[in-house]
Amino acid sequence: MGNSSSSNRISAQDKAILDMKNQRDKLRQYQKRITVLTDREKQIAKECLTKGQTDKAKLALRRKKYQESQLSKMDAQLAQLEQLTGDVEFALVQKDVLYGLQQGTSVLKEIHREMGGIENVEKLLADNEEARAYQEEISELLANKMSNQDEDEVEDELEALEAEVNGVPALPNAPVAQPQFTPEEKAQIAKDRAARRARERAAEQASQPMLA
Amino acid sequence: MTTASPLPSNFSATSTLPPGATAPSSLPFIPQYSFPPFFTLQPVASTRSSQLSSWSTHIQSYCQHNRIFSLTLVDALNTPLFHNAQIHRRLNLRDAKVILAWMASAEGGNRAEFISTSTTKSKKAASGEEDGGKCWIYWRRPEEWAAALEEWVDRTGQKGTVLTLYEIVEGDASLKEEFWNMDEDLLRKSLAVCVRRGKAQIFGGEGSEGVKFF
Repeated sequence: MGNSSSSNRISAQDKAILDMKNQRDKLRQYQKRITVLTDREKQIAKECLTKGQTDKAKLALRRKKYQESQLSKMDAQLAQLEQLTGDVEFALVQKDVLYGLQQGTSVLKEIHREMGGIENVEKLLADNEEARAYQEEISELLANKMSNQDEDEVEDELEALEAEVNGVPALPNAPVAQPQFTPEEKAQIAKDRAARRARERAAEQASQPMLA
Repeated sequence: MTTASPLPSNFSATSTLPPGATAPSSLPFIPQYSFPPFFTLQPVASTRSSQLSSWSTHIQSYCQHNRIFSLTLVDALNTPLFHNAQIHRRLNLRDAKVILAWMASAEGGNRAEFISTSTTKSKKAASGEEDGGKCWIYWRRPEEWAAALEEWVDRTGQKGTVLTLYEIVEGDASLKEEFWNMDEDLLRKSLAVCVRRGKAQIFGGEGSEGVKFF
């Protein structure tokens, strides 16, 4: 039902592997058959012995021996076949790995080709360096355009900010009581006042004639 | 489902049931099995439909437990499946056919399929019945088997390797799997489902096919 002609994904290797595996299955089946046979021969030998037919029993045992030797030979063949199958399958895997490596390498090469070789990369890096230097120059120029006034304002703001952050420095407390004066001090204050008034009057009289 | 793994080794998958074979005692029969009217098809429609579905469950679990993939009705009638010796009740052939026909219908979930006698290997079925003497019991349908196979191939990393059909059902690698010792025709059916899904390809000559999963 399944062996249609569309064997597009089946390679010749697959077919070879299948042949080998089929061979292996056949060997296994044969082994099964032989095992059944040896069991039967043993049974026969037992039956013959109970009947006293020693010769027949011997014959059966001989056949059993022969079959057993075949069985061990077949074991060796089976191992060989399985090893070969394993080798072929592993070789196929290796082939796949190689193919993968090839693909990867060619893709890598293609990408390198698109990048245009070492010279191009070097040139590009140099260009990049140049452009960055130019940009730095521009930034510097722009930074120096600040006027003095702007600088002052900036500093003022900085100070204000600093004051805000650090808080106002500690101030002396305001006096709570009226100042107490000694009699000498009171006399001194009264003298000061009198002197001041005299000065003011003198200044007034001096300005009057100039007006007249 | 997978708990039914103890394999009765004397059952080869394609063989019909040996007469007098008894199910291992561990199989839990459904309760209705010890109820005498269960063995006579009921005339009332609603009762009948529930009876049919119970029978379907019963047949499926029995077959799964004993790993029977196909039944030959004439032989199966004498087995514990259709014959409860404890209550001396048995199902007659006509009713068994009705039940299997129901199981094969869409209503019964396509859990069975009659095998046309022209391709049947069993001579007993051919002589006893003109048609419908033998049928698949799908306690797993081919699509479900296909999924199980794909899952197994995926799990064991066998994608892209060539497997023989014999290897799948008899090999050491699948010894613990549910499809071990499965009927080869059923395996082909299931693989055909994989092929239709594009998950596998069957190739090689008749009788020595191999399958490659992708």
